[in-house]
Amino acid sequence: MRVGVFICHCGSNIAGTVDVARVAAEARKIPGVAFATNYMYTCSEPGQDEIKAAIKRENLDRIVVAACSPRMHENTFRKTIQKAGLNKYFLEMANIREHIAWIGNDKELNTEKAIDAVSMAIAKVMQNKPLHATSFKINKRVLVIGGGVAGMQAALDCADGGLDVVLVEKSPAVGGIMARLDKTFPTIDCSICILGPKMVDVGQHEKIKLFAYSEIEEIKGYIGNYQIKIRKKATYVDWEKCTGCGLCMEKCPSKNSYDYFNFGVAPTKAINIPFPQAIPKKAKIDPNYCRQFLKGKCGVCAKICPTGAINYEMKDEIVTEEVGAIVVATGYGLLDQNILTEYGGTRYPDVISGIQYERLLNASGPTSGHIERPSDHTEPKTIVFVSCAGSRDKSIGVPYCSGFCCMYIAKQAILTKDHIPDSQSYVFYMDIRSPGKGYDEFTRRAQEEYGAQYIRGRVSKIYPKGKKMIVRGADTLLGTQVEIEADLVVLATAAIAAEGAAEMAEKLHISYDTFGFYVESHPKLRPVETNTSGVFLAGACQGPKDIPSSVGQGSAAAAKVLSLFSRDMLESDPAIAQVNTNACVGCLKCLKTCPFQAIVEDTLRSGKKVAKVIETVCAGCGVCTSTCPCGAIQLQHFTDNQLLSEVSAICQM
Amino acid sequence: MSTEKLKEIILKVLPDVDTVIGWQEGFDKIHITPFFMKSPEDAEKAVWNSLCVQNLAAYLPSLKKKTAVIVKGCDSRTIVQYMQEGLIDRSNVVIIGIPCTGVVSVKKVLKAVDYQPIEDVKFSDEKIIIKTSKGEKTLAIADVCPDKCKTCQYPTPIVYDHLAGDPIESTKPAESVYEDIKEFEKKSLEERRDYFKNEFDKCIRCYACRNACPMCVCQDSCIAETRDPHWITQKLSSEEKMMFHMIHAVHLAGRCVECGECERVCPMDIPVAKLKKKINSEMKELFDYVPGVNPEDKPPMYTFNVEEAKIKEHKL
Ligand SMILES: Cc1cc2nc3c(=O)[nH]c(=O)nc-3n(C[C@H](O)[C@H](O)[C@H](O)COP(=O)(O)OP(=O)(O)OC[C@H]3O[C@@H](n4cnc5c(N)ncnc54)[C@H](O)[C@@H]3O)c2cc1C
Ligand code: SF4
Ligand code: SF4
Ligand code: SF4
Ligand code: SF4
Repeated sequence: MRVGVFICHCGSNIAGTVDVARVAAEARKIPGVAFATNYMYTCSEPGQDEIKAAIKRENLDRIVVAACSPRMHENTFRKTIQKAGLNKYFLEMANIREHIAWIGNDKELNTEKAIDAVSMAIAKVMQNKPLHATSFKINKRVLVIGGGVAGMQAALDCADGGLDVVLVEKSPAVGGIMARLDKTFPTIDCSICILGPKMVDVGQHEKIKLFAYSEIEEIKGYIGNYQIKIRKKATYVDWEKCTGCGLCMEKCPSKNSYDYFNFGVAPTKAINIPFPQAIPKKAKIDPNYCRQFLKGKCGVCAKICPTGAINYEMKDEIVTEEVGAIVVATGYGLLDQNILTEYGGTRYPDVISGIQYERLLNASGPTSGHIERPSDHTEPKTIVFVSCAGSRDKSIGVPYCSGFCCMYIAKQAILTKDHIPDSQSYVFYMDIRSPGKGYDEFTRRAQEEYGAQYIRGRVSKIYPKGKKMIVRGADTLLGTQVEIEADLVVLATAAIAAEGAAEMAEKLHISYDTFGFYVESHPKLRPVETNTSGVFLAGACQGPKDIPSSVGQGSAAAAKVLSLFSRDMLESDPAIAQVNTNACVGCLKCLKTCPFQAIVEDTLRSGKKVAKVIETVCAGCGVCTSTCPCGAIQLQHFTDNQLLSEVSAICQM
Repeated sequence: MSTEKLKEIILKVLPDVDTVIGWQEGFDKIHITPFFMKSPEDAEKAVWNSLCVQNLAAYLPSLKKKTAVIVKGCDSRTIVQYMQEGLIDRSNVVIIGIPCTGVVSVKKVLKAVDYQPIEDVKFSDEKIIIKTSKGEKTLAIADVCPDKCKTCQYPTPIVYDHLAGDPIESTKPAESVYEDIKEFEKKSLEERRDYFKNEFDKCIRCYACRNACPMCVCQDSCIAETRDPHWITQKLSSEEKMMFHMIHAVHLAGRCVECGECERVCPMDIPVAKLKKKINSEMKELFDYVPGVNPEDKPPMYTFNVEEAKIKEHKL
């Protein structure tokens, strides 16, 4: 065996705090190492050429590159050695940048540690086996989960690009939060007027199969070949027959149903169509409020429905779809106002959330666009907006900025003045965050042209006094306490992860951060990819973002899917689990723990029961290998012996 | 419970099974050995007394034909664990349960009679009378029972098809089970390390403990002896011995049914079960799980849960 070792300087990134020449010199002493050198930028073209040349010149058959994280450049160097004729799994990387150079500044100690890391990589590479990928066909259909603006954009771009799209939306209609907004910053154009055409396109596109009021039950498979089980939740209305005439909604006697679409600003009927422009425009019964379900008698809607669409016996239905890639666009949720006890939680009817206010402003909302106080339906004259209601507050677990609140508060202040010219708006803010194009000008307009009074400081308490709400807070610029007698208070409640985000991540096998937002593959360079190949992100499910960014990501995710599907075949990763049938005792413990259901029971010709790995399903997670008591199932490229050789190497130093 | 009642049951189930596994007298009066009965004549030789120590359930996974097995309360936990892990087909097994008030540790008896050759053994209410060339010695069974009997929670088998005798309730408090572990944990880290180092240093790596363990399923594939993977060498160093026992303990995490067979068979008198009992106490704490008690349970180490109720790794 002739190992070649390349120690990278990464400019001064590594060489600044690691004596790279000494690491190379020490590597040279290790048995099996035929060649070791250090190089300025190993990943550069000349750096790679140097590796290729050394392989030829020194007759090397294994390569160790000590540089950055393998997540950066493992693929680069694998391709390099492949071009020089070696199997690409004969490469090992020692991460001496992120793991060593960047985290310590004692050059002596860093150098020692780098020598350890390199000797481990050398020990491992000598145990490596050549592995070969197999290729398989791609199913060129795409699943989009979530029909907010981001999901719809992704679905439309994919469909226009010729792909069959399955769009699954959990609520009864597409549109997400944007469908509830009145106008949109910074141009104040009507939200549903610009979203409506997209919604119609989604509903009518021949390439898009829309499952509304449906949820993902199960995801099986792998990039290129997923089997998706979709639960079509019972609507108790046959959508094939329902024409969306709305007669049932008109006649339904149960008038106190919670209105999810309007965030509970006003009640709705037990059978309802969420909003006039809904796509699909179909009725649905809420069995929590329907008298037929609660009391066993009523049946008014069934009698009135001209097409006989009502079916109280309807059950959830599970359908299976097969796709090759998934775009996740499940959006975000809003902080439960009840947590904000210093603002009265939801105790005071005239303290509402920003999205509820959005519904009050909206001409198709429950008040037909008249701003009124929920308590007595009078027109408010003094309105206080409280930004960061929960956001940037570590104590309630939301240390981050919700991103779009500063902007929508400015928008709502402007719209308030338009609706009620003799009104006065106050905005309590921590900082005004408006870094988009035309955004800062917009917040200035709210103040300068629309007279909104901006007060820099936090609100400490809100409490009622007669018919008014007293908002007490600090004005940190004047260094005083302020109290404002308000008619209506609007809280910009924090954006949080969508409901069920963590469970969805588990189904998709993608990672999520402590707040439940999905983690992209690289924060700068791979913003819409995840670490699970075949799964892409779009919109606010990855973190709070406004409409332009959400739409941009929707298109970006679609581009990724289209580029993935531009091939007919994909290569599978050979670094997967493999069973040594001689050693396997057939206890099938591995089968029980595999999170991907990649293991099945198999019977050898001798009649012996053993475990078998379905190659294309195995994700190479290694759970089975740590379960198997006799080490019969081994993760290729990370076998027990390969890892043990690394441990031995470091113990011998 | 009389041996007669047991024989009756054996004769009843024999026609329906290939073998009935029970006990018979061994080479001397104090040693009882496992007995594979195929005929009514065999059944006549079956015995049951406090010397029937072996956990016969351990044979089940390797038997293909329908088998009846005689189990004490403690042994029945092995069967329950096998059921949880899918290692036996319950319909292929007939369980003859024996309510048991405690067995005798042969090692303790031999020590009490100073390792004299045993000439005869008799039982009289809760006592064992040992005759050697030096005379007779009467020992209370409670004084020479294995440690497991002192805290036994399951004197009546948890699962059975036939019960030879009337069920009995445990009289031992449930908290007593891990009392020895709690006591041991009071020692300092160094003391505990030295204790295990000394004990495991005695190990001769005969693997009797592993071979007797009903839950060691790997048989000839045990990684104590393989080269791929090569976790330990055959060297008789303290490190390798320690490693072997660590592996044994970890492989039994949440699986050890506390039958004590490993300790019983160890020729070097090493407290082999202690580490396993410690891990079991942790499993109970973390997963609220006791091995071999409820056939419907899932062993926590053989499930994949993203979130465990008590381990908040992904807490949002
Ligand atoms: C009060 C307020 C005012 C705003 N005003 C503006 C503005 O003026 N301009 C602007 O640019 N931005 C504004 N925003 C931000 C805007 O709402 C977001 O940028 C945008 O909605 C993000 O789109 P999205 O598609 O990523 O998520 P969402 O709109 O949240 O859509 C997600 C969709 O996925 C569905 N879904 C969720 N989970 C699942 C699941 N498990 N399975 C299937 N479907 C699922 C949801 O039902 C929803 O339809 C405002 C936000 C608020 C709160
Ligand atoms: S059954 Fe009655 S209450 Fe229920 S939706 Fe129909 S009309 Fe409304
Ligand atoms: S856990 Fe190991 S021994 Fe058991 S079936 Fe799986 S591979 Fe075979
Ligand atoms: S490595 Fe093992 S546990 Fe992980 S997916 Fe593959 S077979 Fe399943
Ligand atoms: S039975 Fe005793 S001596 Fe033999 S391997 Fe086990 S612990 Fe060691």
